[in-house]
Amino acid sequence: MPSPSAKATAPKLATTGLVAMWLLAAGPAAGHGAFVDVTETRAVAIDARYDTDEPMAKAQVTVFAPDDPAKPWRVGQTDTAGRFVFMPDDRAGRWAIQVRQAGHGAMGYVDVGAAAGMTLTSSATAGLAPMQRLLMVACVAWGCIGTALYFRRATRATVA
Amino acid sequence: MTSSLHLPIAAYAAALALTAGAGSAAEGELAVFANGEALAKEGFTAPELTRDGWELRFDRVLVTVEDIAALQTDPPYDAEDGGEPKAAVTVALDTGGPVTIDLTDTDDDGRVPIGSTTAPEGHYNAVAWSVVPAKAGDWTGQSMVLVGTATKDGKALPFTLTSKDTHDYVCGEYVGDERKGFVTAGGAADLELTFHLDHVFGRADKGADDPMNQGALGFDAFASGGEQAIELAGLHIGHVGEGHCAVTFR
Repeated sequence: MPSPSAKATAPKLATTGLVAMWLLAAGPAAGHGAFVDVTETRAVAIDARYDTDEPMAKAQVTVFAPDDPAKPWRVGQTDTAGRFVFMPDDRAGRWAIQVRQAGHGAMGYVDVGAAAGMTLTSSATAGLAPMQRLLMVACVAWGCIGTALYFRRATRATVA
Repeated sequence: MTSSLHLPIAAYAAALALTAGAGSAAEGELAVFANGEALAKEGFTAPELTRDGWELRFDRVLVTVEDIAALQTDPPYDAEDGGEPKAAVTVALDTGGPVTIDLTDTDDDGRVPIGSTTAPEGHYNAVAWSVVPAKAGDWTGQSMVLVGTATKDGKALPFTLTSKDTHDYVCGEYVGDERKGFVTAGGAADLELTFHLDHVFGRADKGADDPMNQGALGFDAFASGGEQAIELAGLHIGHVGEGHCAVTFR
C-alpha cells in the first residue's frame, strides 16, 4: 500500500466524457451572409491533478489513438485548472492519455466504441474519490444523450 | 498485506512456462532495464541537493532484484488502487535468482541492462518485481547498498548505507518520453524498472512541504558517516519512468 507521503505526490488523472460545442464557420465567399453550423458532439475531458487536489497546471498532455498506440496522436498542455479537452476521431478502441509534469506522470484510458459514433465505456482513473467517480459516470451519460441532439443553425450576418 | 502482492509475483514466474509453452502466438524480444536516473549517476548536486542540503555523489548504488515479470493487463493496472493486476499474458524474466545491479554502472543510454526474453506480441502495460537481500557477493544479506561521499559546508564525508528491506512492486504502464512495452512479431521492445532516490533523500529544490520531502529521510541522520543501516520501509523508490507503483514491504 502506498505510503501517505509518496501517495501524496502521486498525480491523478481523471478522464471524463462531456458534450463540447463544436463550431464550424462556413458560408458563401461573396454572399450576403455568413453561416455557422453548431454541432453538439462528444469529447474527452482530462482533469489532471495531484492527490493533494492541486491541479497539474500547464502539464504536458499526449494522446495516443487505438490503432497506433506508440505514436502520439495529439500533444498539448493542460490549462491552469489542469484540464485538457480533445475530440477523438472515429477510431474505435482504447485511447490513451499521458499527462506529465515535473517528473510525475500518469496514464488515463478511454474506451471508445464504434456504435452510434462513439461511446465512452470506461476510463482508468487513479485514486478518485467515490463522488468523483459518480461525477465521471454522469458526464459520460450526458455525452451519450447529447449525441442525438444534433442541430443546425444558420445565422445571418452583414458583410461590410 | 505484506504477502498479498508477493504471492502473485511468484505466480507470475510460474506463468512463464504456460506462456512460453503455448508456442502459437507470434513472439518478439522484450528487454528489461533498470534506471536510477541522474540522481544515481551524477548524484545530488545543486540545486538538487538532499532535502537537508547535502551534496551526494555515489560510487555505487547496488540493488538486488528478482521475480521480474512483464504483464499484459486489462484493464490497465491502477497502482494507486493497488491489488492484483488482471493479466491476460505474463512473462517472467529468468535472471537465475536474485541479481545485483549497480545503478551507477550504466550503458550509453544511462540504463542498466538486466536481461531479455522472448515474449508473445502485445502491449506489456504492467511490470512487477521485488527488491530482495542478495544471496551472494560482498553484500550478502543486503538488498540495497549506497556507497559514496556526502558534502556539506565544505566537509566531505564518505558513507555506506545498507538496507536489508524486501520490497515488492506492482506497476502500471511506463510513463516517459515514449510509451514502452509494445512487442511485435519479430520485433524488440523494452521495459524499465526506475529507482527514484529522491524519495529516500528528498530534494532541496522542492519545498519543505512537498509530500515527497515530508516522507524522505534526508541525510542528516547519517552525518556521522561510515557504514550505517538505512530503513527504507514506506518509501516509494520503485517506479516505471515517472509512473507510480504499488509497493509493499515484507
